[in-house]
Amino acid sequence: MWWQRLIGINRPRSRETAEINIWRLQSLFNNFRRILFLNNAILEDMDHMERALRIEYIFDRAFLETSVRTIASRVHHVTYNLNALTGNGYIPLYDRYQDVRTILDDILSGNTGALAHSPVLPLHAVGWELEPLVGIDLVCLAELRHHRESRVTEGFVITAEGAQALTGQKTTPVTPEHQAAHVSMTEVRAEIGEQFKTLLKTRSVLRFSVVVTRIEGEEELVQELGRFVLAPVADGPGMEILIESWPEGQSSISMPEAQKNVEPLPASDDSAADLYARCLEHLIRTIFAWFAKSGREPIGPFAVFVRGSLPAAVSGTVQTRFAAKGFPETLSVTAGLPDADAGDDTFLLRRTYPFDIIQSTITPRPAGYHFPEGSLATGAASTHGSFGRGSALVEIKVLKRLAETAMMLERMLGAPVTVRWECLADGECCITGLTPMPVRLEETGGDGPLREQEAEVLCRGGHLVQSGIAAGTVVHVTGEMLPADFPAGAVAVARVASPQLTPVLQRAAAIITEKGTTTGHLATVARELRLPALFGLPDALALLPPGTEVTVDASETAVYRGILETLLRQGAREMDLSPSDPEYRTLRRLLRFIRPLNLIDPEAPNFSPQGCRTFHDIIHFCHEKAVDELAHFQERRPGLGAIRTRRMDLGVPMDIRILDIGGGMAAEGGRELSPDATRSEPFSVFLEGLLKPQAWTTELPTLGLRDIFSSVPRSMGMLSDPIGNLGENLAIVSHDYMNISLRLGYHFSVIDANLGTDDARNYVYFRFAGGLADPERRNRRARFISYVLKAMDFSVSVKGDLVIGKLKMVESAALRSALSVLGALTAFSRQRDTSLYNDADMQILFTIFADTFLGAFNRNIPAAKNPQAPDPLAASGFTGAGGYRRSLPSR
Amino acid sequence: MTAENNPAEPRLRILILDDEPIVCKRLRPTFQKMGYEVETFTDSASALARLRETTFNIVITDLMMEGADGMQVLKGAKESSPDTQVIVITGFATLDTAKESYRKGAFDFVAKPFKLGDILDCVKRIEEKQRGASPPGPGPQP
Repeated sequence: MWWQRLIGINRPRSRETAEINIWRLQSLFNNFRRILFLNNAILEDMDHMERALRIEYIFDRAFLETSVRTIASRVHHVTYNLNALTGNGYIPLYDRYQDVRTILDDILSGNTGALAHSPVLPLHAVGWELEPLVGIDLVCLAELRHHRESRVTEGFVITAEGAQALTGQKTTPVTPEHQAAHVSMTEVRAEIGEQFKTLLKTRSVLRFSVVVTRIEGEEELVQELGRFVLAPVADGPGMEILIESWPEGQSSISMPEAQKNVEPLPASDDSAADLYARCLEHLIRTIFAWFAKSGREPIGPFAVFVRGSLPAAVSGTVQTRFAAKGFPETLSVTAGLPDADAGDDTFLLRRTYPFDIIQSTITPRPAGYHFPEGSLATGAASTHGSFGRGSALVEIKVLKRLAETAMMLERMLGAPVTVRWECLADGECCITGLTPMPVRLEETGGDGPLREQEAEVLCRGGHLVQSGIAAGTVVHVTGEMLPADFPAGAVAVARVASPQLTPVLQRAAAIITEKGTTTGHLATVARELRLPALFGLPDALALLPPGTEVTVDASETAVYRGILETLLRQGAREMDLSPSDPEYRTLRRLLRFIRPLNLIDPEAPNFSPQGCRTFHDIIHFCHEKAVDELAHFQERRPGLGAIRTRRMDLGVPMDIRILDIGGGMAAEGGRELSPDATRSEPFSVFLEGLLKPQAWTTELPTLGLRDIFSSVPRSMGMLSDPIGNLGENLAIVSHDYMNISLRLGYHFSVIDANLGTDDARNYVYFRFAGGLADPERRNRRARFISYVLKAMDFSVSVKGDLVIGKLKMVESAALRSALSVLGALTAFSRQRDTSLYNDADMQILFTIFADTFLGAFNRNIPAAKNPQAPDPLAASGFTGAGGYRRSLPSR
Repeated sequence: MTAENNPAEPRLRILILDDEPIVCKRLRPTFQKMGYEVETFTDSASALARLRETTFNIVITDLMMEGADGMQVLKGAKESSPDTQVIVITGFATLDTAKESYRKGAFDFVAKPFKLGDILDCVKRIEEKQRGASPPGPGPQP
């Protein structure tokens, strides 16, 4: 019979569909879990590599090769898992993986072909990865530009490959695939011209300072070969190349006939740039030819730095380590006038905050000399509007700022440095260059181990984030403190290693936190700055009171009372070990393509496979897209709608269906579950918050006609969703994972969370959108939710009524509290949009929520009170129809 | 307590051998800071020749090297001075190589990469062992 055949066909297919659905769903989640697992393993691998940078580990080349191989394999698997999860939605990610892998292999094999993006590039485009092509001095100078406290000169760099091409040396591509990276002389000339054009237009200068540096000398990291000035001839036509320093001892380099007698053109004219470019090429070729003469040491790889040179009122140097009679460890600053024969002012400062002046030697000025700020040098020691002839050229605050910058450069470089600086006539000071100082261990003095028993240990413990020794005054960093208020050179002590502390790191001598992981953002920044850092030191705030002078020995995870000079000297010795080791530098270069996270904003246009520049970018992208896939899987995978789930009776006006994918629920139980059956750790915590009676206040607002009309397009949109999705609240749970999709009223939210034993794997993702009220009020609710999330240290983005929040790399206790609050928020925020008539309503709603549910996060909510009212809305005067009574204080 | 902390006691002598210069470069100043006398070598032939010339309290040697490998250095060190304690370090650690090291008389076996603290602890244990074994110095006896 036809109906028997129909039944015969349909019955097995029905079972098969269900089986396929659950199989597909498990596969979906297995891929997701695999991404989580691998991401965590990769972060640990990265951490392992970074620990080697902290001088904590003794490693060799085999370690580098093994680490790269392991991480690369895992990143490849993550890429595969994402594509398996999304139906090959991100195939181009394989190409990005391969690009990064090629660069890493090149670094390991000592090649630079894959690194050479451009033979000529502006200083601000230089990063650590380009160190073999531009030298560590220019890398540090470029990195300094990222620090808001420091002002760095503008300029451009000709890389070693660019210089090689310009001098007619053959640049050899590493592999056939790198043929595109081969540099031609024409290309270099054109790019130099472009860079001059930019400088001429933006800086309006006619003099250019040129520094030529040999990279990777035998004894030093970089060696300055010479300093020159390109400028129009002062009293005649044409251009000249003046020598500031050069081994041959001449004062200028003769120009070729073609460039002689050329009238310099206006800076705005493009041909002026060409003229400077030709002069620079002539200079570089002259230097190369000088070294090529028989009997001289080969020039080797060299880079050229060009900057616009305005006439400086005062200039000088800072040496971060200087031994003077009676002061074995000081920092010296010199300051001199241009073309002055009288000599420089010299200052000796302490190497630690507040960089007190130990000694100053001031050279008398000629009578009638005008100081940079306009005062006149007179014979009198102190008269109104005048300085004495013996007054210093620079103010103490400038000296201290220079000392602070130079010490930061020393930390970044990992070795003492000589920093060049200049102040223009308008008083603006900037750093123009730096050179590592060759300092031998025996020169540092202070032999012998520190006798720890002589120093009082204030606290000990925590996790080493970055080794090193630093001293300073303790300053407690609170949520309210502005970065600019943090005193430079102090020791920062905070409760949590939050990314918001990043600006403080640029000013601190060391950082200690009570909580935080060694793999978080702040830890990465601390390592990048080589800032001594200890995270997770219990009771640090209580044990290290503000104002206490301390010495932090991060390597020993100890904090001592007072400034321990011996220990500081030993710290300086340890630093000598690192930057000159080829393995260390290779590791640092490798990490530049592994560790940095550039793709931070999922809404940004570059959040794409093409935007991934590092392995971290790739795994972060995969994680975001995997979470996004799960957040939308009901809509995107309608075929999975028929999965077998069980209803949970929550005892509140909300239904939820449960799909257990492994250990999320008690084994027994019928078709209907109770919350007691929950075994999933994150879901259990979420339910705890969700089922709080205060979150389900019965005071609900009434709706106006405008609300109903404004919600129609959205409501209809939701109605067009696949049948089975509308109104279905679904929790997919396992013992340490949950993915909840909720439709409450007219909003939709997703909470995706992992809460297991390993803090590094744990996270909470929260997404909220929609509402019934008009857009203005929906947006207010979105802002209310964003405030709640921010109070819990989520990273939050808000677009209209869409709120996305993420929390990870925090301790499980904080994550549990956050999940519980999200449970309460889920219930509390339903339909609240309709009552938010103005921002004051929203502010009051937040205050009520904070007082009731955010007790664990009070430190982030300065204004919060704790009324502990049984019904917070009623207690606050909520009217139900028109929001809060107007008698309540407005914002 | 290290040798330097008590000037009355002779400083322990340590020979470090690893064909990766970075290992020698990092270990040397650390042990010097702790008051030990340190000599470093990056080729095993020179290290073996030095071991025949003079006695070291401790030898820290890599396992996989060109020429004589760590096992041969271990053997050479023990032949020159049976009291010399040898720490074997390697980036290719397996259970078999660890077993073989111990069988041939190694004091300890450390896999690379290792923490400075690990190797320092190892040396301190040797130091304590050697001080405990040495005859008591002058002073009141129980």
